[in-house]
Amino acid sequence: MSEHWSERKEGGGRFAIWLIRGIGLRLGRPAARALLYPITLYFFLRRPYERRVSYAFLTRVEGRRPSAWRVMRHIHRFAGTLLDRVFLLAERYARFDVRMHGLDELIARMQRGRGVLLLGAHVGSFEVLRAATIGHPEVKLRVLLDVHKTPALTQLLHALNPAIGHGVIDAGRPPGEIVLALAEALAEGALVTLLADRARADERCVTVEFCGAPAPLPLAPFALGGILKVPVVLCLGMYRGGNRYDLYFEPLADAPAAARGQRAAAAQALAQAYAARLEHHVRLDPCNWFNWHDFWNPQGRGVDAAGPGVDAGADHARSRA
Amino acid sequence: MDTTHPSSAPSQSAAEHELAQLIVASLNIDWIQADAIEPEAPLFGDGALGLDSIDALELALAVSKRYGFQLRSDNPDNKRIFGSLRALAAHIQQQRGAA
Repeated sequence: MSEHWSERKEGGGRFAIWLIRGIGLRLGRPAARALLYPITLYFFLRRPYERRVSYAFLTRVEGRRPSAWRVMRHIHRFAGTLLDRVFLLAERYARFDVRMHGLDELIARMQRGRGVLLLGAHVGSFEVLRAATIGHPEVKLRVLLDVHKTPALTQLLHALNPAIGHGVIDAGRPPGEIVLALAEALAEGALVTLLADRARADERCVTVEFCGAPAPLPLAPFALGGILKVPVVLCLGMYRGGNRYDLYFEPLADAPAAARGQRAAAAQALAQAYAARLEHHVRLDPCNWFNWHDFWNPQGRGVDAAGPGVDAGADHARSRA
Repeated sequence: MDTTHPSSAPSQSAAEHELAQLIVASLNIDWIQADAIEPEAPLFGDGALGLDSIDALELALAVSKRYGFQLRSDNPDNKRIFGSLRALAAHIQQQRGAA
């Protein structure tokens, strides 16, 4: 259990995803949702690593070991958001009740015309962001996505909505190219979105306090805004069960113009601000947490089923030679 | 840092030397002098310079400011262009010639 998260096999599996797609779009969402119960049970029984991650995470944020029922609820929530991606990407937005919070703040920043960097996380469903852009074809949405990491899911997404593929910046490219591509999209005034809570194994990290222990975050997402002088906004689509989502936009920094020597400190501060708001939302609704690996120690020994692993936060962020 | 070390320039051309100075100045590099950058050594990864993705962006911005053209993310030759000081300097010369 010492694999980095990126080496874990794709959690959905082609079969489950095929099932969700086939049943979902033919029979509709209620029938597909009924299938989530056996799928949840299957995952609970057959994916011991993810099960232990859930136990450890819920123990940490809720202060006591969760019941098996609660862990299954956690898995069920995750499966529910995977299913909803199908409907969101097929642009069947009408069936969802997405409540927006802070949209005016985002629009005010978009009107400056320099692009906005939206930082999400592996919580809830980032896909509900698309619902916010309905009826606004002028909004250019660019999404950083590793299309090779989750091939089954990516195939499915492209089959459902080929147009979305054009807005994807492939995170599997060399890191330098990714950052240049993000900069180019921002220069075109796009809404550039990426999930800022996972670093690749070889990526430079910053260490932040998250849910009571130090955790590594990738440095690049938090350095970009300062270098390109664009506003940085947190974006979380929290799933509330049924067809309800809460989509939050929270400004984290406005075109931070830090002097060159202070950029590292500014990126660190921004990463910590991001972590604090993420913690706030996750503590309110822990079953929205979809990082199925030891978040505090992604390259370590893996999670310990016995407890929250208080020693898991050792600082292993790569520092510059 | 040993600032008294004589510039043991490993055969940098004038254009390479100018670019090396731009890299060192724009990326705030204090662990290697411009003169000491090997023209053929890798710029990124585990080499003596050890630049990363954010450095690539800073470098692209500095090149754009100084030389007036964009290093693009979709150039199929990026691996080669960003591979060494020599390759990047050659690319810059070529782009400036084309402009």
